[in-house]
Amino acid sequence: MDSILFYLFALVMIAFGFGVVMNRNPVTSAMCLVGCFLGVAALFIMLDAFFIGVVQIAVYAGAVIVLFVFILMLLDIAGEKRREFPIHAIAIGLIVAVIVGGQIAMVAGSLDDVGGKFPPIDKAAAVEARVERGNNPDSTINTILTDPKKPSYPDVHIIGEALFTRYPLHLQIVAVLLTVGAVGVVVLSKKRLE
Amino acid sequence: MSPHYLEIFVIGLALTLLMADAFFPAREKRVIAWIGASGLAIVFGLLFVVDPAALPPDTIAPYYSADPHALFFKGLALIATIFVLLLGCDFMPVLRRGINGADNDRKGGVAESFILPLFACAGMMWMASATDLIFLFLSLELVTISFYVLVASMRRQVGSLEAGVKYLLLGALSTGMLVYGITWVFGATGMTKMSQLAVAVPGMTDNIAALTFGSMLVLAALAFKVGLFPFHSWIPDVYQGAPTPVTAFLAVASKAAAVLVLARFLDPFLNNPEIAAKLIPVLGVISGATLLFGNLGALGQYNFKRLMAYSSIAHAGFLLLGILGRDFTLVSFYLGAYVCMTLAAFFAISIVRRSVGRDDLSAFNGLARRNPALAFTLVVSAASLAGVPLTAGFIGKFGVLMGAVNAGYWPLVAVAVPAAAVGFYYYFKIVRHMFWEKPDDLEPLPVGRLSTTALALLTAGTLVLGFYPRLLERAIQDAPIVPIPAATANTADTP
Repeated sequence: MDSILFYLFALVMIAFGFGVVMNRNPVTSAMCLVGCFLGVAALFIMLDAFFIGVVQIAVYAGAVIVLFVFILMLLDIAGEKRREFPIHAIAIGLIVAVIVGGQIAMVAGSLDDVGGKFPPIDKAAAVEARVERGNNPDSTINTILTDPKKPSYPDVHIIGEALFTRYPLHLQIVAVLLTVGAVGVVVLSKKRLE
Repeated sequence: MSPHYLEIFVIGLALTLLMADAFFPAREKRVIAWIGASGLAIVFGLLFVVDPAALPPDTIAPYYSADPHALFFKGLALIATIFVLLLGCDFMPVLRRGINGADNDRKGGVAESFILPLFACAGMMWMASATDLIFLFLSLELVTISFYVLVASMRRQVGSLEAGVKYLLLGALSTGMLVYGITWVFGATGMTKMSQLAVAVPGMTDNIAALTFGSMLVLAALAFKVGLFPFHSWIPDVYQGAPTPVTAFLAVASKAAAVLVLARFLDPFLNNPEIAAKLIPVLGVISGATLLFGNLGALGQYNFKRLMAYSSIAHAGFLLLGILGRDFTLVSFYLGAYVCMTLAAFFAISIVRRSVGRDDLSAFNGLARRNPALAFTLVVSAASLAGVPLTAGFIGKFGVLMGAVNAGYWPLVAVAVPAAAVGFYYYFKIVRHMFWEKPDDLEPLPVGRLSTTALALLTAGTLVLGFYPRLLERAIQDAPIVPIPAATANTADTP
């Protein structure tokens, strides 16, 4: 069942991906991108990564696409004109795509664990390991993990914990990166003063 | 003091200057560059007093290393940024004409050209220290995004805008390959920390194809940043279009940081015999092709910045040869020399560009008569770039070639030596223009006091390192390229 769903969503993503590239109208392309993001979100949810799946929808399918469409409206781009690509450009593109695709297929085929399913996460062992690492046995994550009534994982808590306890340095760099992005937008969009 | 305060200091400096520019609009933007450069000089001094043992063990040390290589490359990044800021000061009249909103006398606009390099510098310092692939990715992106903005910042010149768009599109592609490669490596090993990879990968026999594929993808992404053969095509256009200080920054600092990262990343994979058997031929072909493309491509160039772009591709080939030789101290020396000579050349370009208004080689006609001192510095720089004995560039090239000979890469040496010989032709084309071509006018060409000092320092560096390489060699210590902590902390990623 899982694998059927996986292939279904993967196909949907590829189809919408083609839609993004093939459409002449940029707004249609943007809408196809939404379909693509939804497929990604579905794959995340199938991997039990509910939080990332939801964020994928909220941030990418929501905010990012709205931004895209806004920009398209501001720029008032009509449908792109049909361009004739030289035959050799198409041929080289196809060859590169086929080589890379074939390579990925070969490498994926050579993986040793193909077909083997990962065992479900042993929650009791996980809690034990966490406590051993000096984690408070009554912390929110541990209580959720030990609570038999809650079948899923406290992924929001786990991501938060990882970000703020194990990866604070990474988080700070992301903050700097966003600052640079904001400064950059201002620098590049500045108008000529009269 | 823990080494990670260095970057915090640089970021703090950058944010303070950003705020200062917003709330106290200085009449003279030079002040910002001066404060930035002096702040970086202080950080450079702090490099010598930091204590790598003081890193916080849980939150920083697993991802951040302060080994001798990291400290050396932090120093390079800082020196390069200081000179780039000074170069920007000198280049300000041209920047003002190119940046939107900066043209009507001193009202703003150019400050970001001095502040964004500080952010990029912090990113490069982080790159030098990164021993975790995610951390590496983030710091690399910080550098790249700062550069996207800097390259396109002279938006009113079509060249700068075109360079910005090209750099953005190809940069995004390389970022994609980097992340995809890291994913494959993580998928095959379950690790992102380089210290763990350095222990685990050399003995791995499972999933070799996936590991090879992942390492090749990361190699491709980093080859883009360094400017290696199949991914070098952006370099001439971007170097030519970008504002000269940014070109210098790209050529020197961005390349140096990426080379260290490339060596760090490839080391565990080259230690695995099965992967190395596939990786080494690829690296050899890339290195040889880069040497040929860079040197042959430079032959027909008549724009100085474009010439320097091809020259930087050629040098990237030598650097990869050094990485293949597996003696990273040689690569470090090469980069130290490269920083001096390349920055000197870019200072000369910016001075000529400012007064003549072009950066074609013909703009340098008769420079020997118009300003003999400037012509002399450019001769030294060109000689060093070509690899004339008694200059730093010669020692660097000689060391790298000897390293390749010792490692037994004879076919590559057979390509590299003629390639270096070709280099003499185009570097001395610059000298020919300065000494033998008839100038358009014979007015003496003035050089500001700041540029004079900077050029004197860089030329002295190039010559002194050529006569007395021990000076720099003392700063380069032979240490394992991937630092492995004595007790690798057990951080199994259980939820």
